[in-house]
Amino acid sequence: MGHPSTHADISGKNIELPAVALNFRKLAIGLAVIGLGGGAAVGYTGAFGTTAHHFWHSYLIAFLFGLTMCLGGLFFVFVQHLVRAGWSVAVRRPAEALAANLRWIWILFVPFAVLWFMGKANVVWIWADMETLKANNEAEWTIVVAKTGFLNPTFFWIRALVYFATWAILASFFFKNSIAQDESGDRSLSSKMGKWAGPSAILFGLTTSAAAFDWIMSLSPAWFSTMFGVYFFCGCATAGFATMILITVRLTHLGALKGIVTREHFQDMGKLMWAFGIVFWAYIAFSQYMLIWYANIPEETGWFLARQVGEWGPFSFALIAGHFVVPFLALLSKWMKRAPLTLAIGAVWMLCFHYVDLYWLIMPEVPSDLGNFSKYAEMSAKYADEATHFTNPVNFLLVFGVVGAVAAGTLGTLSRVSLLPKKDPRLNESLRFENM
Amino acid sequence: MATPVTNTPEQTHAPSSARLYGMIAEFETPGDLLHAAEKVRDEGYRWWDCHTPFAVHGLDGAMGIKRTWLPVCVFIAGATGTTAAFLLQAFTNSWSFSVWAGVWVTGYPFQVSGKPAMSLPAFIPVIFELTILFSALACVFLMFLFNGLPRHYHPLFKSARFRRATNDRFFISIEAKDPKFLPKKTEEFLRSLNPVAVEAVED
Repeated sequence: MGHPSTHADISGKNIELPAVALNFRKLAIGLAVIGLGGGAAVGYTGAFGTTAHHFWHSYLIAFLFGLTMCLGGLFFVFVQHLVRAGWSVAVRRPAEALAANLRWIWILFVPFAVLWFMGKANVVWIWADMETLKANNEAEWTIVVAKTGFLNPTFFWIRALVYFATWAILASFFFKNSIAQDESGDRSLSSKMGKWAGPSAILFGLTTSAAAFDWIMSLSPAWFSTMFGVYFFCGCATAGFATMILITVRLTHLGALKGIVTREHFQDMGKLMWAFGIVFWAYIAFSQYMLIWYANIPEETGWFLARQVGEWGPFSFALIAGHFVVPFLALLSKWMKRAPLTLAIGAVWMLCFHYVDLYWLIMPEVPSDLGNFSKYAEMSAKYADEATHFTNPVNFLLVFGVVGAVAAGTLGTLSRVSLLPKKDPRLNESLRFENM
Repeated sequence: MATPVTNTPEQTHAPSSARLYGMIAEFETPGDLLHAAEKVRDEGYRWWDCHTPFAVHGLDGAMGIKRTWLPVCVFIAGATGTTAAFLLQAFTNSWSFSVWAGVWVTGYPFQVSGKPAMSLPAFIPVIFELTILFSALACVFLMFLFNGLPRHYHPLFKSARFRRATNDRFFISIEAKDPKFLPKKTEEFLRSLNPVAVEAVED
């Protein structure tokens, strides 16, 4: 401590993916095949009482879980370039590899295209079939029909293409230039990435917000919240930082990056996860809730009512406790963030509750007969049996399948490149980094 | 230390007011200071300090400074803010009670758009703000208190050499009240740390 020089080994085995991790990659591929295959089988046969509605919503949750991890990685990478951060160089490569999955993640969205092609897309997005919507719920239809200029299949798929193309281009831009610098040590690559980080941030903000509107908010097409894009971005940050922490903790545990990634870096990644995933989440989630709660407009409150009836009531409180109260207190102290073990436990915890958060966003259905009730008690009595179906095995099969695919992709990328941007001009600053 | 040019009769009669405050050693680089600080720490001095023009990484460890209680105090202050804000709003909006079973004390319950008097969501912004306010004020003022601030006079300012502590030099000062302080021995010890200069400072 206290010596401004460092003797970290930045060559050979110390910055290569340990061989053990390749076994884990095989496991991840197995997990992807079993998870996605098993999930599809359960969905097809309808085992465990799985309806088509539940299966497709569950798959959407699983897909978004994997997607938010990768988007979080991308967010981390361009923000470091944007602010020309020095401390983060030692932990940037895992984030770049995580973001690199965005080049192929669109494949996991293809099932929705198939569903659309089969004409059954209204199982997920009820606005996909306006005729059926009109027959089932004319009150909602009258609101949604005014939105068809935006919510129509053609524009929906054009936008989806734009999102996936933007993310793939951004992720490969930062990944490729960083890899090129490993060989050449060209400092101008850092300037180039810094220059494009600003536009990347704008593109990222616009695409993730719009994707959140398209894929999650439009599940209840009559409802709207201007905070929703931020809410989804917050989920990306939570998942991305938690995954990065797990990757770096595991790599150092396996003996790689020795003397390179230190407690100082863990503490800072922990701070980011704490700030974005816990405090910022509570802040924007509450902002969204409070505005709707005090305005008390029926077309807005229905969305929250659906999350209060039956089992969803305790589920919502579990989300508040698990996504905010418990981790807020547990990770408040810097010692909890500096110790790899407690930080990793915190990261696993946050990933679990990020899944719960997505489940809470996507699974509940707004009752179609809300307009018929004059009292809250009548409505909650009628829907007292509303179940979350959270323990349905198909949820776990699908999410482990997607996580397996993302893990296999990340490890595959990391096995081909060094674990450290070894010729980054700011590497020394990162190796010597100390919190005060 | 400027020596008086002339001795007026009053000064010769008065007992010497100069009392030894301590010794300072001057270093040219943060690295030299860090190594020296480690040695002072290992020598067992307790009333000593480092003075640098900017924050030097690793100095806390080199000086052997113990963990501060400030974060714990700030947490308690924050929790007090949370509780105070909740009680304040709960009382003014919805509670009433009697004092000594005689005086009936009530807040100012007010109906807003049919919401219950005890509406937690409406309280949260104020709870949040007071938590931050209490934590921030406690943090700043306890930091002042723990550091012995504000302090308008310090004997070290008498030393002309010490002025460079705010510019380009690094100093270690050992106070005379340290149990291990012996003028001769401490001066020898400080010289053994290879400083640019060692100087006695009087109060």
